[in-house]
Amino acid sequence: MSKYTLKCLFVDLDSRSVRFEQVPQDISLKYIGGRGIATHLLGLNPMLKAGEPETPLIFSAGPLTGSRLPSTGRMTISSFSPLTNTITSSSVGGNLGIQMRMAGLDVIHITGKSRNKLVLCIQDRDVSFEDVALGEDTPLQEVFLKLSSRGSVAAVGSAGFHGCLFASIMVDGAYAAGRGGLGYVMASKNLVAVTVRGSHRPGVGDRHMEGITTEDILRLFDASPAIMGVSGIHRYGTVSLVDLMASRRMMPTANFRKTFFEQYRAFSASRIVSTFKATHNGCYACPIRCKLKSDGGKELPEFETVSHFGALNENADLMSIIEANRICNEVGMDTITAASTIACLAEIREKKYTGDTLVGKVKEMASGKGLGELLQMGSRRLAEELGQPGTSMSVKSMEIPAYDPRGAYGMALGYCTSTRGACHLRAYPISHEILRRPVATDRFSFQGKARIIKIAEDVNAAIDSMGACKFAFFGASMEEYALGMKAVTGLDIEPQDLITIGERIFTLERYINCQRGFAKEDDFLPARFYKEHGTPGPGLEIPPIERALFKETLERYYRVRGCSPDGVPTEKRLKELDII
Amino acid sequence: MMETIEKYLGKLVAQGLVDSSEDASLFSMDDRIYSKDENIPQIVEYLFKTLNITSLIIARPSRLILNIIGELKKVCPDRIAPKDSESITFIHDIPVLQDMDSKTIATALKRRKGCIATDGSIIATGSITLEQAFVVFSSICFALFVKYFSDVLNSLGGSHGNVHDECTVIEPSSTILGMIGPPGPIRRPSLVIPESEYDVISTMVDTGKATVESGLVDSFFGNISYTLDDYMYISQTAAALDELEGLIDKVALDGSSTNDITSSSEMGSHLRIHELTLDRAILHGHPKFSVIMSMYGKPMELGEKRYLGDIPVVYGRVGAGKKGLVHVLPPAMQESRAAIAYGHGTFTSGSESFLDAFDKMLYIENACFEMLKGLLSI
Repeated sequence: MSKYTLKCLFVDLDSRSVRFEQVPQDISLKYIGGRGIATHLLGLNPMLKAGEPETPLIFSAGPLTGSRLPSTGRMTISSFSPLTNTITSSSVGGNLGIQMRMAGLDVIHITGKSRNKLVLCIQDRDVSFEDVALGEDTPLQEVFLKLSSRGSVAAVGSAGFHGCLFASIMVDGAYAAGRGGLGYVMASKNLVAVTVRGSHRPGVGDRHMEGITTEDILRLFDASPAIMGVSGIHRYGTVSLVDLMASRRMMPTANFRKTFFEQYRAFSASRIVSTFKATHNGCYACPIRCKLKSDGGKELPEFETVSHFGALNENADLMSIIEANRICNEVGMDTITAASTIACLAEIREKKYTGDTLVGKVKEMASGKGLGELLQMGSRRLAEELGQPGTSMSVKSMEIPAYDPRGAYGMALGYCTSTRGACHLRAYPISHEILRRPVATDRFSFQGKARIIKIAEDVNAAIDSMGACKFAFFGASMEEYALGMKAVTGLDIEPQDLITIGERIFTLERYINCQRGFAKEDDFLPARFYKEHGTPGPGLEIPPIERALFKETLERYYRVRGCSPDGVPTEKRLKELDII
Repeated sequence: MMETIEKYLGKLVAQGLVDSSEDASLFSMDDRIYSKDENIPQIVEYLFKTLNITSLIIARPSRLILNIIGELKKVCPDRIAPKDSESITFIHDIPVLQDMDSKTIATALKRRKGCIATDGSIIATGSITLEQAFVVFSSICFALFVKYFSDVLNSLGGSHGNVHDECTVIEPSSTILGMIGPPGPIRRPSLVIPESEYDVISTMVDTGKATVESGLVDSFFGNISYTLDDYMYISQTAAALDELEGLIDKVALDGSSTNDITSSSEMGSHLRIHELTLDRAILHGHPKFSVIMSMYGKPMELGEKRYLGDIPVVYGRVGAGKKGLVHVLPPAMQESRAAIAYGHGTFTSGSESFLDAFDKMLYIENACFEMLKGLLSI
């Protein structure tokens, strides 16, 4: 096996000092990079709290980041979440990961807190700290404009500095490390931005094999309707899911009191593409190019954002959806939590916030003033504060994305077992429950879902750790990307080895959360989903999920994952996976 | 779980993939292993423990495929590399095991979804459902059949030249040649000209079943569409052609909806074929002899076209990408209402009825069988 060690830059903002270190080979091989190595580093001190200076904020690229393999421009940003108190990480596109790899870095590990607001500038091996004079409310676009000459930029907006628990980190102006409040962690360090520029393309072990694997992957992309099909995300972006979610009656509407919004066509893919004469945008080396831009060059929102600022708030005004998204990106706020928190408030107050009123609420939230102070705590704290905790549609305090769990039972389980709160991407069962890739499963059944979800979580942990994009797996599989890993790194690694690495990473995340006090009772959906029906469609009933059946499936999941009946990874499994 | 196991065991037999249900063992796993066998073999427990899979099929394929495996193993002892485009795309290559110890099997399955055991059994896995393992099993059988005959054919040389490059020349086996025959028994779909959505869907369901039952496609593959008024009705991706009930998408021709993100990967081709020919009924199958004959001769380049009799053969990738069939197939269909995608399958259309499309596909398959027979002097 070739020498495989990750290169890490440790930055201490208190002393403004840095050190370069190589991660030992055994650790590098066990966690491979990206989300994996960040989980390992966070696990070394698992009880830290978001906002404490010693809590690390970790930027980590994967071994495939910056390779020529399709859809490998991703990296991960990780820490402990102020919103959920779980370990958290967010996969993000843009050029930051690639620039890190070109600078010879796999990991940037930041601790401490600067006295003044500063920008951390990295150019190959040169690291500098620059104090910046920025107003509290400087729009992120200004920050990007100011810093773009220094390479790729990750920046936190005013929401983070105002204490928003779901503040995001934006990369290169358009890519969000959205969920879980990583922007809050960055702002708590007085770190406005990180810029990275590298000048050496990372080496590739076997260029010929990289080329062959690239062709294999592209062939599978072409064969996938969800990717390259007539209505695939290559053509319409992720909003291509709007029509499908509506017709499957799983479009969360009115804070999940309904699962169908009659006016959904107001923000359908064809409406958005035709209204804005949308063109494609995307990450480096990605033929999918899932992001949409207006003909004026403005970023257009993605599916979850459109659905939640639309249907979840019963808002059919497309322009207000676009504006709400723009504000969130401008100040750095997670759009899913923002939209869901407003929908929660609307239910509590028995109102609807639509059009300009919706935009007004987003602005209030962004300012952190008045009610905004409470809104930026997220829906769980808002609902508790206003005396109606049952109206927060969240798991582990993170708001549920735009796939109603009553319409896809694997998704229901995945929201609950996700290690960062309700997240659709940790297991991503939308692939087989809705998009029929690689095969279809019965979306209204828990049969087999315990093991399916467990394996998917492991696969996705490996994908995030390699630096690949999950959309690629609507077509290709670990079989092809493992070959890519061999080609790029020279490691003798098989698809199943990568999934086992993913299992190690996911199990460690769960173990860290358990150490932080999470328990079985945190692995359930809000009561609404076990009691209330969704909206029926032609020949289609959306019943509530049977709680007893869900609990039984969750317990099966624990067994499959190697957990105790209380959901804690057993010592035996931790040892088998070489975690302890 | 047990119902699913029964279903796919039945399909393995019904589609002639195994000769008897006794020849196949199917396993599914959630928090425990489900199987018809009371005692779970140790090797199965080991594989489920070692691999991140949910399903496993270990089966002795039909006598024909078993013989083909025997012949191919002589020249490809470690790994069989199929040449047809679906197999290249989805299964890449098939490891051939030298030993039957658990570790050897697990090592092969760590890399690929299926492999061939020392006794010729095929071991297939699924990471999500048992259907996936069934599809892998079925795909391996298809790939082996096509590879054997196309290699035998191309080993003959002749006017097309010897283009067999992967393995050494394969001598035709008289046992195998004696076991093949034209497609049949044939069950033609009903001659209905659909006038309503109900008609369209029931005709598509019937035609899908007839196409599978007549051996013109293995159940998981192929696709089918019908256009009525302003809508195209098309089978969904990963839908078994003999189980289309509830798996047909209704797609607005004006592109106003993206519901068809779940439609067949060949939807772009179906739309374009309808646009160019105005034919309402379009059928795509994978008749084996047509696929084999399309591969007779020099490998085709993207965009190239040649003829089998008067039927055009074109080459493009599955789907709607830049190199996709969508660019080369519809113009060929405009020419003759039938075309073969090189190493892939046959597309046919009918102006109003699926019967036309079905009959054309059957005619081409029979003609290809006769051609093969002629070339192999059977």
